[in-house]
Amino acid sequence: MKVFRSHLLLCGGTGCHASGSQAVKAALIEQINKKGLGEEVKVVETGCNGFCAQGPILVVYPEGVVYMSLKPEDMPELVEEHFIKGRIVQRLLYREPLSKEVIPAMKDIPFFALQELRVLRNRGIIDPEVIDEAIARDGYAGMAKALTEMTPEAIIKEVLDSGLRGRGGAGFPTGLKWKFCSQSPGNIKYVICNADEGDPGAFMDRSVLEADPHAVIEGMVIAAKAIGSSHGYIYCRAEYPLAIHRLNIATAQAREYGLLGQNILGTGFNFDLDIYQGAGAFVCGEETALMTSIEGKRGMPRPRPPFPALSGLWQKPSILNNVETFANIGQIIHKGASWYNSIGTEKSKGTKVFALTGDVNNIGLVEVPMGIQLGEIIYEIGGGIQKGKKFKAAQLGGPSGGCIPAAHLNTPVDFEKVTELGAIMGSGGLIVLDEDKCAVDVARFFMDFVQEESCGKCPPCRVGTKRMLEMITDICNGKGKEGYIEKLIELGNSIKDTALCGLGQTAPNPVLSTIRYFRDEYEAHILEKRCPAGVCPELVRAPCQNACPAGVDVPGFVSLVGEERYSEGLKLHRERNPFAEICGRICFHPCESKCRRSSLDEPLAIRQVKRFMTGMEKEPLLPEFRESEINATRKIAIVGAGPAGLSCAYFLARLGYKPQVFEAAPRAGGMMVQTIPEYRLPRQVIEKEVKMIENTGVKINYGSRLGRDFTLLSLRDQGYEAVFLGVGVPYGSKMGIPGEDLIGVTDAISYLREYNLTGKAPAGNNVVVIGGGNAAIDAARTALRLGAKEVTLLYRRTRFEMPAWAEEIHEAEIEGVKLNFLVAPIEAVSLNGRVSALKCAKMELGDYDRSGRRRPVAVKGKDFEVKADLVISAIGQYLDEKEIFAGLNVEMNKSGYVKVDPLCARTSVEWLYAGGDVTVGPSSVVEAIAWGEKAAVGIDQALTGTDNAFWRKEKVLDTFFDPEADPIDAKRAPLLNLSLSERMGNFKEVEKALPAASAVCEAKRCLRCDYRAES
Amino acid sequence: MARITVGDLKKIKERVHNETALREGVHRAKVTVHMGTCGIAAGARGVMDSLMGEIAAAGISDVVVTTSGCAGLCSQEPMLTVEMTGEEPIVYSKIDGNKMRQIFKGHILGGVVQSQFALAKG
Repeated sequence: MKVFRSHLLLCGGTGCHASGSQAVKAALIEQINKKGLGEEVKVVETGCNGFCAQGPILVVYPEGVVYMSLKPEDMPELVEEHFIKGRIVQRLLYREPLSKEVIPAMKDIPFFALQELRVLRNRGIIDPEVIDEAIARDGYAGMAKALTEMTPEAIIKEVLDSGLRGRGGAGFPTGLKWKFCSQSPGNIKYVICNADEGDPGAFMDRSVLEADPHAVIEGMVIAAKAIGSSHGYIYCRAEYPLAIHRLNIATAQAREYGLLGQNILGTGFNFDLDIYQGAGAFVCGEETALMTSIEGKRGMPRPRPPFPALSGLWQKPSILNNVETFANIGQIIHKGASWYNSIGTEKSKGTKVFALTGDVNNIGLVEVPMGIQLGEIIYEIGGGIQKGKKFKAAQLGGPSGGCIPAAHLNTPVDFEKVTELGAIMGSGGLIVLDEDKCAVDVARFFMDFVQEESCGKCPPCRVGTKRMLEMITDICNGKGKEGYIEKLIELGNSIKDTALCGLGQTAPNPVLSTIRYFRDEYEAHILEKRCPAGVCPELVRAPCQNACPAGVDVPGFVSLVGEERYSEGLKLHRERNPFAEICGRICFHPCESKCRRSSLDEPLAIRQVKRFMTGMEKEPLLPEFRESEINATRKIAIVGAGPAGLSCAYFLARLGYKPQVFEAAPRAGGMMVQTIPEYRLPRQVIEKEVKMIENTGVKINYGSRLGRDFTLLSLRDQGYEAVFLGVGVPYGSKMGIPGEDLIGVTDAISYLREYNLTGKAPAGNNVVVIGGGNAAIDAARTALRLGAKEVTLLYRRTRFEMPAWAEEIHEAEIEGVKLNFLVAPIEAVSLNGRVSALKCAKMELGDYDRSGRRRPVAVKGKDFEVKADLVISAIGQYLDEKEIFAGLNVEMNKSGYVKVDPLCARTSVEWLYAGGDVTVGPSSVVEAIAWGEKAAVGIDQALTGTDNAFWRKEKVLDTFFDPEADPIDAKRAPLLNLSLSERMGNFKEVEKALPAASAVCEAKRCLRCDYRAES
Repeated sequence: MARITVGDLKKIKERVHNETALREGVHRAKVTVHMGTCGIAAGARGVMDSLMGEIAAAGISDVVVTTSGCAGLCSQEPMLTVEMTGEEPIVYSKIDGNKMRQIFKGHILGGVVQSQFALAKG
């Protein structure tokens, strides 16, 4: 025996081999020998460690320190530092994706700590090519017990009692399968292991075979004893050379020890197995097709019954189980059924291995107890979504499975629940999709896969999936027609009912489940010819433009700025969005979050380029306006001079209409002027662009309030043919806590409106703002400027869930706003009728809510008080239906806003159109602008019967672009802000425009996704 | 390798388990050999060799051996810290192979601090 002071376990799974672990191993051994540590330190190559995305991975025992993403050139430093000087090399450790915290020990990394290792208990711990190491960790102990102490009936009973269900996908009780087979007549029976893992993105079975092949062999021998078999097969696809290599070594070693072959362990029991290499046809993962393939024929399924338990391989009774199922058996026998079924849910016991892939931070192989919440797998173990994007759905079960969307993150993952939601457990592929993935495109991918892999034996699968693929491809290409969704559902259901084998019966699942949860995306593709996620190439000119609600030609104006053609850029911008200067200041730039440059370095600073461009404007520059004598005579009323109303007026004016705008306030701009603070959006900027619109023939009637001075019906009586409602959601929601009516308690909308319209508002000494959105930040920074001594912002969730824009939060903190997370108000405390303090509850994050965020719940007994003489709540907004409609019956949507046709913005009343916040709830300026445009087109279409939206036609760009050239190497232009002393106590604009040189350079960073090679 | 019996399975398990036990994180003692430049110059390498030899000879698996850098007391090198699980660490100074063997037998196996070589606690 040789004792080493340290064991270095280097991952040698296929994933780590691919990322270079063999070169790392060679370099490591070289360094160890060079430093004379060969006798003290042992290097062991293991199977897959699970954390594949971070490979090559090295775990150092006894410390349990894990090093990741290693390269051969790291080895001299690692050996010198760690093994000679005993210092951990920080830079090679794991870094938590969200908090950036460095975690040295494997057991402390959530990815590992939260797993429950049973099937994978030996992964990364033993050398899979040394049978003794497996035996040292109870390998073959269950088999020894089964062969020496148990009858076949007792084995079957133990497996039945354990509740183990087949891990290949369908979840049939393993013990039952064995029981049926054991009762089948015949002397020759077969035990078959299905290692034909074929789902895209799934690699559980491969990892088990690579990391612990003996566990599978052991399980098969036990099964053989249970059913009375003496021969078995492992059907493994030829694409898994390492798994086959290790299986061959394992079976050879097992035979040498007499653990396979004649008279196993001297018990008189005989069993041996062959490894059969499959050629990789997906259908051969289906049991009858697999057996046909072993028989040497073309792998195609056959109808069941007869089931394989009665007539399987070569018409002999056979059982077929998945790799993971067999890997559980040895431990069930060794430790007992009650040990096994101590974890899991009522009908799904034990653990499940998932191949966690897609847009999640920690990609790899995870083993979790049945019944774990989906959210826990994705956020705790998986470390959340990459680049801080939003979670959209999890695709479970590969081409036979379906999607589970964010609303179901609380779902306990087990066979029943997952099936109920339209997915399947499958063999355990779990692909995480972020907001940038298109549901239709995902469905198309799987449909394409299934269609390619269909064996062609039965028509429903052969022809049906082809038809489905054609339709879905049409939808992706913008050629989908109305009724396609219904046809897909109908065809899908009939394929499910009539296909011969499991592959065909489950093939429609990805389509059906995406229709179930993302029907709106299918509709957007079909009706609007729009891909909301910005994926489908036929529908997306450039992702930035696609992401802009108003559809601004981003690559167009950006490239024009790059050529210093500012006037043309501005005109192009105003083709789709008149408020170029306003948006240059305050747009939350959905374009930037989709910018493809972010995969190279950082997204383009599109908003800042725009801001610079508008700064070069002398006289307002407008695109094409078309005169129309007929349109000029038609009466159109617009209620509300906010961004939605003004945009509607602008686009109507471009078609020659002369709309009348009615505005209650003395100034136009709506929320832009009433709530957005001046330090973000100077008032002259709003005035300038409002005036520009007024000059196009739009008349704004100030001080004219809906519900007081007129009603919608009275407008109709005055002869208005169409009315656009763009009144927003003007009131701040109440908190619903005692003391809310005290003096000194207000809401952010009222507070900001008071200051912005009158120039005065109370400052307070100790200001407490409640909420995490932009209104909360605006109120906090306004109070600070008005002289508040201390401003504290309370938010019931954490920083990561704050809906406010990151830049705004950052600036607020710089200015001195204190952020206090996981706190919720319970009561405003009174002193002589004025608020004096706010009683608060400490919160913690609980289950996931429908938005996919963790719901805050109060921690008992942790209430506390915060001193406050001004409390501003910013927790939401609402509208007053009665005030708006005054007797007119207008249909509302589920969220309590006005229901409209998403294409033309028409409400349930024929002549009434609505858009902006009033239809979708508090959102953004650019979204309101888009709604205004939609309504203008809708109104014009209703009045003229034709589509005259000439601005929607894409303009041909004549800016230069060389597709062969490398992207210019420049960093994203940083924000330029006023210093703290320059901005405190005043409302001067905080952000400064980029200097010309850096704006032009920034514009040139554009990768020009709009470019298409001329054919 | 020859064909094995159920009894052999247990023997293999015990033998190999001893070799691989340190991957499981349970140990009776942690010994740190100070291997800064000063330590190595003063002979820490020999101390390490003799420690590893003792552990192998004793056939035990639950002693963790690690290294560390210079502790700042270069004149006292080679130094050694023995930390029995649940007890205060003891620092030994000016160790050689012979002293190492005594400390191993007396302190690590016997549980008695070899105060004649000890420098300090902690």
